[in-house]
Amino acid sequence: MSFTINCAGKSTRQINRELRVAVESGQREIVVRAPDARHNLGVALLQPVHVVFEGSVGYYVGGMMDGAHIDVRGSAGWGAGESMMNGTLIIDGNAGSGVAASIRGGTVVVRGDAAARAGVSMKGGTLLVGGSCGYMAGFMMQKGRIVICGDSGEALADSMYEGVVFVGGTIAALGNDAAIEEPTPEDESALADLLNLYSVPRPASFKKVVSGRKLWNFDKKELDIWKAAL
Amino acid sequence: MCGIVGYLDKRARQDSPVGKVVLCMLDALSCRGPDSAGVAIFCEPRANWILQLKLPEHAREDEAPHIALEILRDQGAQGQGRLVGAYLHLEFEAPSGTPELERILVERLPGSEIVSLGHQLEIVKQVGSPAQLEATYHVSITVGTHAIGHTRLSTESRVDLSHSQPFWAHGVPDLATVHNGHITNYHKLRRQYEQRGYRLYTENDSEIIGVYLRDQLAAGLSIPDALRSSLDDFDGSFSYLAAWSDGLAFVKDRFGYKPLIVAETDEFVAIATEEIALRRSLGSDFVAKEPAPGTMKVWTVTAVQPASA
Repeated sequence: MSFTINCAGKSTRQINRELRVAVESGQREIVVRAPDARHNLGVALLQPVHVVFEGSVGYYVGGMMDGAHIDVRGSAGWGAGESMMNGTLIIDGNAGSGVAASIRGGTVVVRGDAAARAGVSMKGGTLLVGGSCGYMAGFMMQKGRIVICGDSGEALADSMYEGVVFVGGTIAALGNDAAIEEPTPEDESALADLLNLYSVPRPASFKKVVSGRKLWNFDKKELDIWKAAL
Repeated sequence: MCGIVGYLDKRARQDSPVGKVVLCMLDALSCRGPDSAGVAIFCEPRANWILQLKLPEHAREDEAPHIALEILRDQGAQGQGRLVGAYLHLEFEAPSGTPELERILVERLPGSEIVSLGHQLEIVKQVGSPAQLEATYHVSITVGTHAIGHTRLSTESRVDLSHSQPFWAHGVPDLATVHNGHITNYHKLRRQYEQRGYRLYTENDSEIIGVYLRDQLAAGLSIPDALRSSLDDFDGSFSYLAAWSDGLAFVKDRFGYKPLIVAETDEFVAIATEEIALRRSLGSDFVAKEPAPGTMKVWTVTAVQPASA
């Protein structure tokens, strides 16, 4: 049996308080009706609960959570899953700017398209986008994995330190110091597992983007590279 | 912050409840801008001009309308006026158009300001919340084909009616804008336009958008082309909407600093700073999507024009 919270007529604070009380009283399956794109829903959930938002959510859904599983049956606004430590956030629709920004672990799945700055500054975890993404995805990424099944916007993986980005469609332009390399058989099998797990259709092939590592150390002889990056 | 909203009925229904929709959207965004609220609503085209005149502060209510009508008569225009809230609402017939009207009105009624002018456009705005705007002007019962609205958090300039949005593009009948963000080359543009004789009525950087569009139109550009060129000519952060006799458009800066979300169905186009405004006013039966930075798009009341930068 799942526990139901209806958002109609309630403030974000009331809804999050009801969510917290339900989790503390031992509920593990929670359905949230009519979220109507309110912001800050389900932030900082620290228990392994399953929360379903039946509709679109606003900014920062599931932000800072650790170990929960959140399904969004709609779209999400800016910063979905931002800074989450672990868990799963699945967005059936589109995601706004900065989805999965600074996540340290866990998995964020966007079945539709992601807007600008997807997965910026990721420090671990996985971002899987079934559709396309806007510009600056993976900017200054430090660790983790971004998988874009559709097309990528400009400045992809700009100034990334570490981590890896896979793109199934076209790349409008690589960012500074982003480099393309061949996916390994291990990459291919991990990608197949990931797409299978979340039932995301597989594109014909993936391009792999990693750090060119030219910005790691400053060398006077490479001043032009730095000038371009900064 | 600030919140901007736009709504257009694609089926060209003249009695679409656009006032109710934009007011509900603004109310959902009111926490983004508690300082002032305003709407620009486009009704079916009328033969007469519709002019919303903000009267000078301390104007005598029995005198100012009389003076305004006298000025109109001097210009060969016939019409009538009534006081609605802070405005003198004038409807008149002017066979020779209105090229000199704004200059003469403002000269003879110092402290007055034309807040909107056109055959379809009517702007109401004031300090306070969308709910207060509704209480004064009954926005929710106003029908039309399309509308834009604004709820303001002041950052750069003073909080009063004149500095509120939407802004009419002075000199261009039936063209209005709402802006969220900061045009950082405002002072430079303002200086250039003032040197060329354009008058600005406020110190709000958002006002420059209308001046820019007016200048581009005067140079022969279409409204969509003028909007597109603004992507290159404005610096800073902006998501702005423009609305004119039969069109609505968004323009979003190339860095995507400011949020904007768009929903389109066979029946309508709805644009807002946050999706919360779309859901509260129009329900859940459509998909909303964030447009890419550095893009613009135009819709018309009867048909969609493909356009993107």
